[in-house]
Amino acid sequence: MNHQNALKEMAVERYLLGELNGASLESFEEHLFECPECAADVKAGATFIDGTRSELRFPRTASIPQAAGPRSWISWFTSPWILGPALAACLLLLAFQTFVVQPRMRVEIAQAQVPAVLNPLVLANAGARGDSIPEIVAPEHGSFVVSLDIPTTGGFSSYLCSLYAPNGSLLWQTTVTPEQARDALLINVPTGKTREGLNTFLVQGLPISDISNGRLVDLARYRFQLKLQR
Amino acid sequence: MDFVTFDASYVSRLRAGDAPTEQHFITYFSELILLKLRPRLRRPEQIEDVKQETFSRTLSLIRSEGGLRHAERLGPLVNSICNNVLMEQYRSSGRVEALEDEAAAQLVETRPNALSIVISDDTRKLVRRVLDGLSERDRGLLRAVFLEERDKDEVCTELGVDRDYLRVLLHRAKSSFRVVYSKRVGASTYQ
Repeated sequence: MNHQNALKEMAVERYLLGELNGASLESFEEHLFECPECAADVKAGATFIDGTRSELRFPRTASIPQAAGPRSWISWFTSPWILGPALAACLLLLAFQTFVVQPRMRVEIAQAQVPAVLNPLVLANAGARGDSIPEIVAPEHGSFVVSLDIPTTGGFSSYLCSLYAPNGSLLWQTTVTPEQARDALLINVPTGKTREGLNTFLVQGLPISDISNGRLVDLARYRFQLKLQR
Repeated sequence: MDFVTFDASYVSRLRAGDAPTEQHFITYFSELILLKLRPRLRRPEQIEDVKQETFSRTLSLIRSEGGLRHAERLGPLVNSICNNVLMEQYRSSGRVEALEDEAAAQLVETRPNALSIVISDDTRKLVRRVLDGLSERDRGLLRAVFLEERDKDEVCTELGVDRDYLRVLLHRAKSSFRVVYSKRVGASTYQ
């Protein structure tokens, strides 16, 4: 038997399956011992068959991952390197909410529901020069009352009252009607809405004659020093 | 896999007792002798005896006066000597005549670990990969033939295939395995 005949007759497969006998077996084995290609094929085939017996007898519980297509984008989220830190972050957030934020909120709610004497801050005489800047001490998680005089010289359809932080940023704003402005304006200010330091209330009026333009006129500027009681 | 030329130079080194050449010679032909003898001899000790005697006689012949005239006939020489030793083994174990092929085919080693080629973990993984690429029916066919050792005609009829299908299946699976196995083992060229 030569190599071409061996290939044509699938002699290697027949040999491995034990289908050769007699003269064909002798002929192929003589060829096998002199043909490196057929020898290699038979050896690989025998190894595969032995491996198959082994593998089918005691199949592994975890098989080799099959060659998959392109990884889905969502598989990125299931990576242990992502899930682990994400879970830790969630737990930290939960702990913070439970042990820090919620107790604080309970205190604030409790304080708000308890009757208490407020500390009024009277802001008046805005135009007077040399006035000292009033100071108020308010609880950190409480509020204080501001009494504002709005100069009612007339001719304004409405007033705008704005609270500015020490750094000039706008903290709060409200519109006041002429009726409300007749008397001193009482404003309850939660300290959480303010900043410690020199705060400013700006009172502006919207002239009746300039309603269409919306151009405001500065009427008064009240400054006060806020100290938070911790 | 070894692709070596058994040329005059090789035989000359073998004759001179060159250790690496001798080791290669024994390793290369041991596998083939084992595959040849497995279906024919029942006990591993008998196979080992025949193998050792085959090598001993072959090397003696090569190193004798005149030696091996045609180096390219080294392989068939080993095969021929193995056949002779096998015949002697049959006679020495009380058999008057050589076994008929059918009877010889029934002498299948039932102890899988005794004569099987040692399968490494890596090799098993490669086999697993090939098996996973087959259909359930093909895996069932291989299981029935090689693990359960059922009659091949019976199995083929049961699965609705013929013997040619089985041969082609083995050819495809073997070829797939050989591709990855060769890469893992690496081709070694002996010089």
